[in-house]
Formats: sequence, C-alpha cells, structure tokens
Amino acid sequence: MSDANSHTADSPAAITGGQGSVGDYFALLKPRVMSLVIFTAFVGLIAAPGTIHPWLGFVALLAIAVGAGAAGALNMWYDADIDAVMKRTSKRPVPKGTITPEEALGFGMTLAVGSVLVLGLLVNWLAGALLAFTIFFYIAIYTMWLKRLTPQNIVIGGAAGAFPPMVGWASVTGSIDLGAIALFLIIFVWTPPHFWALALWKKINADYTEAGVPMLPVVAGADETRRQILLYTLVLVPVTLLPALTGTVGWLYTLANAGLGAMFIWHAWQVFAIREGAEAEAACKKLFGFSTLWLFVVFALILLERALGLPLFPPVLA
Amino acid sequence: MKDIMTETPFGPEDMARRRKRAIAVALILGAMVVLFFITTLVHLGGAVAQRSF
Repeated sequence: MSDANSHTADSPAAITGGQGSVGDYFALLKPRVMSLVIFTAFVGLIAAPGTIHPWLGFVALLAIAVGAGAAGALNMWYDADIDAVMKRTSKRPVPKGTITPEEALGFGMTLAVGSVLVLGLLVNWLAGALLAFTIFFYIAIYTMWLKRLTPQNIVIGGAAGAFPPMVGWASVTGSIDLGAIALFLIIFVWTPPHFWALALWKKINADYTEAGVPMLPVVAGADETRRQILLYTLVLVPVTLLPALTGTVGWLYTLANAGLGAMFIWHAWQVFAIREGAEAEAACKKLFGFSTLWLFVVFALILLERALGLPLFPPVLA
Repeated sequence: MKDIMTETPFGPEDMARRRKRAIAVALILGAMVVLFFITTLVHLGGAVAQRSF
C-alpha cells in the first residue's frame, strides 16, 4: 500500500482510531461520484430489454451504489499519501486524520463484499460478478497500478466508471448485450477529454505535479493533452450514436445527440485552439463543465424516450 | 491515584461520535433485515400458502 501513515501519524485518529463521525464515513463513499453511478446504472436498468420487479430494481441500484461507495473508500485508503499532498483532496477524512487508513480499508472491504453478495444473492450473479470486477478494476488496475505509472491512467481506468450502466443492464437481462456495451463505450470514451480538461487547470495541474501523479498534462505537456482531447472527442461523437444501431434509442436521442456532439466538438476545438492566458483556462473550464452536463443529458435522453413511450429504432447490430 | 484500567482515552465528544456511529450501524443492520425479508417475499411471489411444495 501507499505510505499513508507518513502523512497522518500525528493525528489523533492515527494513534487511537475510532474518531470518525458518521459524516466522515459518508465522505469516504465519494457521494458525488456515487450519484453519477446511480444515475447511469438506473439508465442501464431502464434501457435494458425486459422487465424487473421494481423492488429488485431498487435493490440492484442500492447494491451498485454501495459498491461504488466501497470503491471510493478503498481508493481513499490507498491514495491517502497523495491526497494529503494535493489541495483538492487534502480535506478528505484519511489525510485530515479523522479516519485511519486501516479503518477506511476495513470499511471499504466490508461494503465491497456486502454489496456484491447482496446483488448476487438477491438479483443475479452475473450482475454481482460485474460489480465485483468493477470494484477490482477501480482499485487494483486503476488506483494501485495505472494511476501512478502511466499518463494513460485515465484512459484505461475510465472503464471502471463505465461499468455501472452495464451492471444495471445485467441486473435486468442476466446477460451482457451489445446495447450495454454501447452505453459502456460512451462513458469510456467520454472520460479522457472530461478529466484532461480538468487536469489542464493550472491549480489542478500543480496538484498532480506536486503529488507526482503522471497525468497527461504533467508528462506530455499541455499541447499534447489538447490534441488528445480533440481526438477523443472526435471518436466520442460517433460512439454516442451506437445505441441507435443496437435498438436502444430512437429519433429524439439521435437527433439531440447530433447537436450535442457538435457542441462538444466546438468546446474541444476551443481548448485546442486557445493555448495561452486566461482565455485558455476558461476554455478548459467550459469544456469540463459542458462535458459533465453532456453526459447527464445523453443518458437522460434515454430515460425521456422511455418515459414518453417513443418508438425505438430496430436493432441493426444484434 | 489514576486507575489506568478504568480510564478511557476518549472524551465526551468522542463518545458522542461513537454513539452516533453505533446508531447508524444499528439502523443499517435493521434495514438489511427488511431488505432481505421483502426481497424474499418478492421472489416467492403471491399465494405462497396455497402452494404444494
């Protein structure tokens, strides 16, 4: 594990433990990330062909949410050393000293095992296995391995954030279909431009440099990061239209996404073209804000089509 | 003379935090019981008493 204790050894919790409040434990779950996971998993659940009893759907979402929280807690356990160095994360419970790394580890492991068992026993074991793999991927592949090793950390690690709609889908169907893979790909390809826009901010970039995390702007420079953002955005827009080929969406989603995709490309182009001064920083902030809203709207459109009972395209890929 | 066997390193604020944590854990455990109970009923479906097992 990382050298978390070196930054928390003077705190009361590091000596005695048992100092964390209920709020501190809640913060370990990364509630903002959890809310996005719940939303995308819910869309996967609704978009999947077939039906699920509403109570079982609720249980599935609850287990997915707790699994996401477990991954957040385990991430804070392992990353306590770099969290303490970066201003953005220094107030988290472990670097702050209210929860010991051991407590965060125990809390995260308990929730991880519990959420997988609940999803497997009460809904289905494919969904449970996918949730287990998602937690494993986020902790072992992203947090422990890639994050500190390669500037491609976000690209591959982004898969962890892309699994929830697939888990929601599998909760209904008990299978992994092309429609679920299409939803996975949207979040997977969206993640790099979204996080690189954030990493280009001066103070965030300084944080990563200070912590020694090889984010792309730190290792390859801002210009290369801007080029990569534009390239990933150009791939993302056609990927967004894949659900039309799998029969998951209809005209409303497809037409709206054509417009939203054009707006995404325009924001990415602004980041690519404006490279100096306050305007460059502003362009990165706008892209980050827009990409957050973009993902929400893209997934909300799927829900809206179902709510309005709009016809879906016949599947071309099946 | 201090009795180290009965002294606690935790002050009143620590104990209040512990109490709140204990209540939260109790509520979560209670919710788990309800969760498993209702899910079992959902899986069993209707007219359980009339079934010939």
